[in-house]
Amino acid sequence: MAGDVTPDPPALEEVPATDEISDADAMAERLAEAGRAKRASDRTRKILAYVVLSLFVVIAIGPAFYLISPAFRDSVSLFTYPPEWIPSEPTLENYRFLFSSTSYVRWAINTLIFAGSTTLLTLVTNSMAGYAFARLRFPGRNVLFFVVLATLMVPVAAVLAPTYLTVNTIGDWPIIGNWIDIDTYLGLILPSAVSPLGVFMMRQFIETLPDGLYEAARLDGAGEWRIFTRIVLPLIKPALVVLGIFVFMLTWASYLWPLVAATDNEFRVLTVGIASLKGQFVTDWGILAAASLLTIVPVTIVFLFFQKWFVQASMAGALKQ
Amino acid sequence: MAEVILRQLTKHFGSVEAVEDVTLRIPDGEFLVLLGPSGCGKSTILRLIAGLEDATRGEILIDGELINFKDPTKRNVAMVFQNYALYPHMTVYKNVAFPLETARMAREEVAEAVQRAAEMLEIEALLKRLPEQLSGGQRQRVALARAIVRQPLVFLMDEPLSNLDAQLRLQTRLELMGLHERLGITTIYVTHDQVEAMTMGQRIAVMRDGRIQQMGDPTEVYDVPANTFVATFLGAPPMNLVGGSLERRNGQTYFRVEGYELAVDPAVSGIAPYVLAEASGEAQLGVRPEHLTLAPPDAEGLPGVVRFLEPVGSDLFVSVMVAGHAVQVRMPPDTRVSTGSDVRLVFDPARSHIFGADSQNLRS
Repeated sequence: MAGDVTPDPPALEEVPATDEISDADAMAERLAEAGRAKRASDRTRKILAYVVLSLFVVIAIGPAFYLISPAFRDSVSLFTYPPEWIPSEPTLENYRFLFSSTSYVRWAINTLIFAGSTTLLTLVTNSMAGYAFARLRFPGRNVLFFVVLATLMVPVAAVLAPTYLTVNTIGDWPIIGNWIDIDTYLGLILPSAVSPLGVFMMRQFIETLPDGLYEAARLDGAGEWRIFTRIVLPLIKPALVVLGIFVFMLTWASYLWPLVAATDNEFRVLTVGIASLKGQFVTDWGILAAASLLTIVPVTIVFLFFQKWFVQASMAGALKQ
Repeated sequence: MAEVILRQLTKHFGSVEAVEDVTLRIPDGEFLVLLGPSGCGKSTILRLIAGLEDATRGEILIDGELINFKDPTKRNVAMVFQNYALYPHMTVYKNVAFPLETARMAREEVAEAVQRAAEMLEIEALLKRLPEQLSGGQRQRVALARAIVRQPLVFLMDEPLSNLDAQLRLQTRLELMGLHERLGITTIYVTHDQVEAMTMGQRIAVMRDGRIQQMGDPTEVYDVPANTFVATFLGAPPMNLVGGSLERRNGQTYFRVEGYELAVDPAVSGIAPYVLAEASGEAQLGVRPEHLTLAPPDAEGLPGVVRFLEPVGSDLFVSVMVAGHAVQVRMPPDTRVSTGSDVRLVFDPARSHIFGADSQNLRS
């Protein structure tokens, strides 16, 4: 009976004997085998991942790519059948037409003035407002901040008419009306020069700066303005760049406000200008494509140039003081 | 250089009484240490003097001038923060120069002053670096340089050594003392480290719950603590306290604890006879570990049982249970004693203290 109770000794065969383990060749062989298996499974996984990712790439940049082909073809060849993806006779005719027969250059300059000034002004106003909300103690601060945030929920279209009326009314005032009116640069720029989202973003960023910095600066004799310009602004540079790019791209592509605020061709911006190329009965798609392509290029360059800042700014919270 | 006076200084944060009725006079050139556990209000006093907080009540005077309502930028006090608060985007030079540039000093004068401060703190080689490229000790020096560069009336230091490792802390402590000796600027130094307080302070103010518990030079505070809090806060290991009661018989007062009775003699204990005559009821006997000696069980003394032995090389700390209290005794390292043995604790009554039911030292 006692023999039945005794458990079987463990199967020794499956465990490599000591001398086998110390055998360098056997060990190398085992490692190589395991390595091969791992590499093979890694490869399959990678291929799968690339297939899926490629699909998303096609979805994402497909439409933009679709713009390139017609931009270099004359309009007649656009409607050949079967459709031709790579133009057999590429041409710059569309561009020649854009520059010679439309106000494309004027629109581009206007857009640059519009987007550039809006961006600069937004950075100034939003960083100052953000600083005030983050650092200064004044009555009604929280209520005011809530009001600023609440404007985020108001759709652009809803404030379009009031904004238009405001600017139009100011335009009737003496002296100042010469500068701010419908069909003036200031009238176009000023209503877009503050962004509640930007104020929020600046406030959040400035609040992350340690209190010790402000206190040290105050004891070093610095007033609010000096603290703002010498301590805060340099430290929130990444956030400023991100907000700047954000506002620049949004303004560059904005359509609704410029459409109503700049009716005169002299003040028209690219988006509105391009739309005006679309005829009521006939539309030259080649020219439209060329104009659109040309319009995208500057923002793309700006973005590529500053994209590392995006990463930095989003990392900022993770850094130690 | 200046004399600082705080008069009935009080600061409440909502219902929290951070500082309560603090009155202090810090003579010109003194190095005063505010010592206490975290949350005792010592940092708040610094911030009140600096103007980073407004006092709820009371006055702050520097050189006789009331500065309660003076803007912090104009008080001419310099503060060294616990985390140094260096401007991370500025080089060391710019950091040190910042207060001078803010004061619109001429460029050459700024350069000269920065150079002097840098030499004094031996950071000349670091002037072009950014704070992130410095070690903790170096940052500390830069923070000090920024504080001394504009020759302030008062130095405020808020636990400036607490972020340094032990070795560096020791070294910096000596350097700070040297710096104070050289510059002679009135300094108020906040710390929770009793060793720092004992070694650096010309005077110590021990604080608890927003109030000053005791004020005096380090040996005075150590030798005659005003109450049980000060007695146990200073010293490592702290003063031993044994609970018992005071009894008066035939014109003589006795401190009684289970199995032991100590006759309290006014001449020896330093307690005024009239205080002693009034005292009765619960009391605590306090003796520092270094003033206790182990004796055989048949000797005259506090009876106890040895519980633990802690040899630390230079000394042997013996933990003895006396009437339910653990009592630490400091003995020479070669003392022969074993755990579990009965012993008597012998001490010089002149070095012992009796704390009344209100925890106050009957001597004071």
